[in-house]
Amino acid sequence: MAAGWHSRAFLVAALLLVSTAALSEPSREGPPWYVPDHATFQFAGSIGLFSGGPGWSFLDESVEAGLLLGWAPPLVAGEDFLTLTLKGQLHPFRLEWEGWSVRPLTVGMLFSYTFGDAYFVRLPDRYEDGYYWFKTGLRPALLLGAGAGRPVPALGLRLLEGYFELVATDYRIIHFLQDPGTVETGLFSLALGVRFRF
Amino acid sequence: MPWPLLLLLCGSCGVFEFHPYELRGGDRDRHARSLERLRRDTREGAFRFAVIGDMQLFLDESAAAVRDIQRRDVAFVVQLGDLTEYGSAKEYEWAAGLLEELPVPYFAVIGNHDVLGTGADIYRRTFGPTFLSFDYAGSRFVLYDSNSREYGFPGNVPDLEALREALTPEPGLTHLFTFSHVPPGHGDFDATLSQPLEALQAERGVSVSFHAHIHRFDSNERQGVRYFVADSLENRNYLLVSVQGESVQVERVFY
Repeated sequence: MAAGWHSRAFLVAALLLVSTAALSEPSREGPPWYVPDHATFQFAGSIGLFSGGPGWSFLDESVEAGLLLGWAPPLVAGEDFLTLTLKGQLHPFRLEWEGWSVRPLTVGMLFSYTFGDAYFVRLPDRYEDGYYWFKTGLRPALLLGAGAGRPVPALGLRLLEGYFELVATDYRIIHFLQDPGTVETGLFSLALGVRFRF
Repeated sequence: MPWPLLLLLCGSCGVFEFHPYELRGGDRDRHARSLERLRRDTREGAFRFAVIGDMQLFLDESAAAVRDIQRRDVAFVVQLGDLTEYGSAKEYEWAAGLLEELPVPYFAVIGNHDVLGTGADIYRRTFGPTFLSFDYAGSRFVLYDSNSREYGFPGNVPDLEALREALTPEPGLTHLFTFSHVPPGHGDFDATLSQPLEALQAERGVSVSFHAHIHRFDSNERQGVRYFVADSLENRNYLLVSVQGESVQVERVFY
């Protein structure tokens, strides 16, 4: 695989680091909207063995957006996979219970870009327009999940949250609609994650 | 908390995926296993085999084809490529899982959709090399990659040298059968290799050349060689081939 995508990925990683670093700068008037208010670390979910990055909350944390850089090493995935994912989520309910903050329902969607020449976002020249109707390098997915957490003041965390997500990638959804008898529960794969709210 | 319960419920759903094109887990080297089973079947004389077309987004129809084939006396099954739509690991798992339901050995050609992403690597991992030649009951069967467009028409897909060698006449060989996804003469087949391939197959006396890709049944004869294009399984039919001495009969089976 060409070295180009590695350098692009490093650039993205650096940008993520810079935006997360902005967190540590205190501000008397509350941080501007573009400063992330949480960070996420995730296991699996079709975007890497591990992925992580900053996130932004809106409307009393009922709407969230996150950017995740994901990696799956050849040792576990048979190939070096590097992804950049934009995730949007909606948490319509929040329950407080004995110090726990529970979010019983999360719905969302994501777009995941995979770095590398083996995947295309624009059809390569060897194909006519519309030869493939999907993009192997840009993957949409729908999410269904839930999470719960509690404050950890010792670590300076307003909330340390664990969550799970059922991830339905485009190919799983389409096959589920076309071939429910074959796909069955294969509509979803599972992601587990931790969210650090500052 | 509700989510540990959901976690338990999801225990059987394949659970984790690290990337759509991951090369991980799954049953490997299915062709080697099929060949081993075929070697133990020392039948001579008349036999039948089934040939099935594009599976792609028609997995439930493919499962029905597998059930139909289960009721017939065939020695083995050849799938003609496009097992998947996206070439993803999960689709390979679904498609190979369906074929695994066959009571007889099976083989799969690589199709253009199966090459996408790391699909060709997943194919090799799941089945074996994309070029395969084997003998059964006095006939030779050759599977090859004819997805020229996927590689930008490099001039060696299909690999005519390997084909020429595999189709070398040998005493005791009554019939030659070839299998590839894209039919020669199609725009996705290297235009500079269509004529040479057809000439080679004519020269070596290939009995039937099987293809798929266009999702529409077709059959014709070129330079004395019979060409069949299997329908996609969306249309719920496949080909049943009966070999008896010099005679080879191909019929369409609707289910």
